[in-house]
Amino acid sequence: ELPDGGVRPNAAQFKQLVVTALRELHGEVGAALPVDVLTYEEKTLSAILRVISSGLVKLWSALTLLGFYQNRRCAFRVLQTSPFLLALSGNSRELVLD
Amino acid sequence: HAALSRRYVLCEVLSEDPRCRQCIEDRALGLAVRDAITRVHGDYGLACCSISFTVKYLNAYTGTVLLRCRKDSYRLLCSALPFVRCLESRGQRYPCCLNTLHVGGTIRTCQKFLIHYNRTQLLRLLQNCTNEEERQCIQKSLLSCSLREEQSHSGDEEEDDGTE
Repeated sequence: ELPDGGVRPNAAQFKQLVVTALRELHGEVGAALPVDVLTYEEKTLSAILRVISSGLVKLWSALTLLGFYQNRRCAFRVLQTSPFLLALSGNSRELVLD
Repeated sequence: HAALSRRYVLCEVLSEDPRCRQCIEDRALGLAVRDAITRVHGDYGLACCSISFTVKYLNAYTGTVLLRCRKDSYRLLCSALPFVRCLESRGQRYPCCLNTLHVGGTIRTCQKFLIHYNRTQLLRLLQNCTNEEERQCIQKSLLSCSLREEQSHSGDEEEDDGTE
């Protein structure tokens, strides 16, 4: 989330942001964690990231604690995590039961 | 029963510059190690390792350093030690490296190891001696080192030329 209406990052800048977050919280070891940006939508600023399951805690904690992008306030919201990519196509939190 | 378990990491400072010895002091070394932990493991690593972190013992003549940390974070500390590249004190910066010798649960185990290690180092130096005077000096030191407290510490008397 970028509440101010400024320039949005592109995919490469987004990846850079994720790696920077890891580097700040977990150092060079964290920055070396192999994270892939599978999809990225500049319009909604949402993405699907892939990481090895042993690195989930590091990645999630780093994203949670990242507060700034180019000196602008920002926040990461993790909507869903799953070991299967297919499960991300439907968000069970938004499921409405009749 | 040990609720507050700590690990003691014994290391030695190696440097090609003989002036580096004057930088071996607890504040400079503590800062250098914490800086290395921050670079390698980030804010989380620094916070984790700083909980019970101190420089327990220093010997500038032999370059021996004893660090203490929590048992849960000694791996973070040990993996960051090779990334200590220089020591800075009083505005002077000298390149160096830290060699980990031993990790123990108590100061006593580290002390026992250090005495044994120093003895083997003295023997090595004895073999590499070039003149008779140095030989006599080292032999005297070797014969006088022991674990009893009222004797002099075995680590202080070796002929150390700073290069290994």
